Amino acid sequence: MRPRGEEMAAADWARIFGEAAELGVLHAHLTGGEPLARPDLEALVGAARAAKLYVNLITSGVGLSERRLDALIAAGLDHLQLSFQDAAESPANEFAGARAHARKLALAGLVRARPIAFTVNAVVHRQNLDRLDEIVAMADDLGADRLEIANVQYYGWAIENRVRLLPTRAQMEACVAAVEAHRQRLKGRMRIDFVPPDYYARYPKACMGGWGRSLLLVDPAGWVLPCHAAGVIPDLEFDNAQHRPLGWIWAESAALRRFRGEDWMPEPCRSCDRRHEDFGGCRCQAMLLAGDAAATDPVCSLSPGRPRVDAILEQIHGAPAEGGAWVYRIDPA
Amino acid sequence: MTASSVPRLARGCRLQDTAEGWVLLIPEGVLRLSGPGPQILRRCDGAHSFAEIVRELGAEFGAAGDERVASETGAFLDRLVERQVVIVE
Repeated sequence: MRPRGEEMAAADWARIFGEAAELGVLHAHLTGGEPLARPDLEALVGAARAAKLYVNLITSGVGLSERRLDALIAAGLDHLQLSFQDAAESPANEFAGARAHARKLALAGLVRARPIAFTVNAVVHRQNLDRLDEIVAMADDLGADRLEIANVQYYGWAIENRVRLLPTRAQMEACVAAVEAHRQRLKGRMRIDFVPPDYYARYPKACMGGWGRSLLLVDPAGWVLPCHAAGVIPDLEFDNAQHRPLGWIWAESAALRRFRGEDWMPEPCRSCDRRHEDFGGCRCQAMLLAGDAAATDPVCSLSPGRPRVDAILEQIHGAPAEGGAWVYRIDPA
Repeated sequence: MTASSVPRLARGCRLQDTAEGWVLLIPEGVLRLSGPGPQILRRCDGAHSFAEIVRELGAEFGAAGDERVASETGAFLDRLVERQVVIVE
């Protein structure tokens, strides 16, 4: 993330939230990095709510006291999503690179007693998927309204650690069955949303609901992006919400137009019926795996690049699950 | 849903008027509302029993005493309870 000095002021965010609402936006997701790192987060929440946006906070919980939680709710927070790395404390802390797990459990106790929606976001991967049942039980015990089981997506730092993170096919299949069983058992009590790793899919995910189609991301310095990973794609011209109205950016920004719609699609996407469902998959993934942001998403079974994904999966199944060293985004040492 | 049930919107779920009509904003989602949906949900405030909601809707829509008001309203609310958007106290 950019250095704090370049971050926009709360007044800028207030204007942007107003422009977003005018554009027809309904939800604001305050995410990061770690949004609690902003001392004036309450002002941003208030501004988003004043613009009649539904306010979601996506957080690790670091920096969240009871007093601050109440201030955020008073400012208009609707929904808080708290991340967990595991159900068991020791691997959770190893993965996060911090002694955060016990604090998260305590925070969950505060959140569940308050009049906002509460989601537990559990990051899953090869090293903890065998504890899926415990993770579901933990979220249920914590009183979460929703559990998001998020398979690590292979961008940014995760790609460096892919061999240790990607689940085996056997783990994936067990996970899919287990999630379905838990979903039925907990129906009406806790919703479970599950995003499987698309390397095991036959077709790509409808990434972000399509490029420049359902959502936009405004970074702390005001740059408007189609998603958080788009920085891996070269030659994209982004626009800045401090210099242009958001409505103009949504319609006219070169970066948002670059892969919007169908004109950019190569074959087989261009004439594939699935293009209406998956919008051509993920551009950032095509960049990372095929070196070409305009290529068919290589996870697609119809992509000429699919063998490369299959080779990675073979590597996963050949590699031992234990051993090796994690590559951290921020070295905890 | 029984006559004395008191339904209310679950925490983190709220009604919003938009340029394209009423919606129910929920965690990670939006439910578009049509017909009597907004009028039903506006009365899910923890202070109306199901019987009272049905009676008021009947009056509002000129369908007082029509059994379908109760059965359709009940079905609507039961679906929302299953989705955890409405809670019955």
